[in-house]
Amino acid sequence: MNSPKPNGNSNANPGPGSGLNRRNFLRGSAVIASGLAALAASLAPLRELEDFGSIDQFLQKYYKELTPEEMAKVLKRIEDEVEREYGLRPHVRDLKPMAGVEYVYALNLTRCIGCRKCVHACVAENNQSRTPEIQYIRVLRLPHGSLDLEKAEHNYSPESVPEKGYFYMPVQCQQCKNPPCVKVCPVHATWQETDGITVIDYNWCIGCRYCEAACPYWARRFNFAKPSIPKERLNPNMSYLGNRPRSRGVMEKCHFCIQRTRAGRYPACLEVCPVGARKFGNVLDPNSEVAYILHNKRVFIQLKEELGTSPRFFYYFDV
Amino acid sequence: MNDKSKTPAVLVALTLVFCAMAMAFGLRLWGKPRPLVVNPLVDPQFISTATIRTSYVQLIRLKADLSDFDCYACHEKDKPPTLRFDTNQNLVVPQEHSDVVMAHGRHGRNNNCFNCHNERNLLLLQTHDARELKLEDCPPLCGSCHGPTYRDWEAGAHGRTSGYWDRAAGEFKRAICVDCHNPHNPKIPSRKPAPAPIPLRPAPQLPVVAEH
Repeated sequence: MNSPKPNGNSNANPGPGSGLNRRNFLRGSAVIASGLAALAASLAPLRELEDFGSIDQFLQKYYKELTPEEMAKVLKRIEDEVEREYGLRPHVRDLKPMAGVEYVYALNLTRCIGCRKCVHACVAENNQSRTPEIQYIRVLRLPHGSLDLEKAEHNYSPESVPEKGYFYMPVQCQQCKNPPCVKVCPVHATWQETDGITVIDYNWCIGCRYCEAACPYWARRFNFAKPSIPKERLNPNMSYLGNRPRSRGVMEKCHFCIQRTRAGRYPACLEVCPVGARKFGNVLDPNSEVAYILHNKRVFIQLKEELGTSPRFFYYFDV
Repeated sequence: MNDKSKTPAVLVALTLVFCAMAMAFGLRLWGKPRPLVVNPLVDPQFISTATIRTSYVQLIRLKADLSDFDCYACHEKDKPPTLRFDTNQNLVVPQEHSDVVMAHGRHGRNNNCFNCHNERNLLLLQTHDARELKLEDCPPLCGSCHGPTYRDWEAGAHGRTSGYWDRAAGEFKRAICVDCHNPHNPKIPSRKPAPAPIPLRPAPQLPVVAEH
């Protein structure tokens, strides 16, 4: 005890450092004021949270709990937000899965020439960030004679494709029947719909990136920065679970162009493929292209099928 | 020190800490966020859905100049043109048709114009079994040799499709053979690939390991 006074007397006989006199009041106020100012200044980085969004967005309910009226409000709010930011009124819809439809993708490895047009058509269709770059499709270049992904290269840039001695294998979300990414999501922000598409509620995602780590196909992409999309390249045909602009800190991935396919159209990567290597359709319809391919062509893999993920994305050969 | 005398000390210490943090944040001692280099936008040719070549059918649809297909502007009617071959049995392409590269098949033996064109009416095509087809209806002709491919094409498994997979929702479009393949030189030409992914920072140079 360094104090000259016993504790019991401190209330009765205030020392020179306590008690409310002019000096102490000023000293105390100065300390408190500068302390508060410093606290405010040290919280300054919070002001740089530019993409916090609105209170409505913050309080929005989980996708599956939204009533149709609430969803209509949410869609309108998203349209307003996009219009404010990009100066273009989009058409945001929430398309539901069709009954009796299960999507399957088939890709012809004999035909693919590795031109990467699918990559960029996908970026344009799905409003992906240009800086930093986010791409759902990764085109792997593999040497002939093996399917050793360790030998794959995706940064190839020759003068012209196809190159002698190589084949090309585009990889994107495989829309697994048994998706590891859905299992690891701690907040159920990603799930499999009845038509087989695994979707993400971008408003529910907390950005923990567990799904990115769980995906054996490296198909999930994370928005480390606020996505930048040039206004003139914004695709105004949007869907809630699909290509509406994402915010920083959420995951995204291929969703088979949900805004097109659930309206009956082909995905963008299929339409742009110059050699017709990509095929898509409803596998439950026996007259669809994909049903024909699975019955008649040499469909050789689901990629990494030994993992038991059971992809809805099939690779096949012509001859 | 008792509680009384500790309080101002703690307050002063906290104030100093907050002031130091405020200074640090103000001066950005943790480093400024590095501005990202804005990536160039991809050339629109890489997102164009146009087919590899513009076929006769597309020219009709575009209402383009079809004078190149007016055979009888030069040829005489009712007089089949004669073909000339060199000593190796290769067709000598006449100067008027110098744009035609005869490279159909690796065997080099599909070198007779009238395997596909109809010598009695140059505006038509003909199959082996003497069916006459219009220029814009080539698939059965191509299919008379390329049977399995024709079967795949009919099922939608070969070639380009666009529009609606759900036939009830809208129009389904299917490209025909000559939209992509040049009938005289059907191999798809090689092309420049779209730009590779741009990494945030350059990838480290790995040592090249020789393949064994």
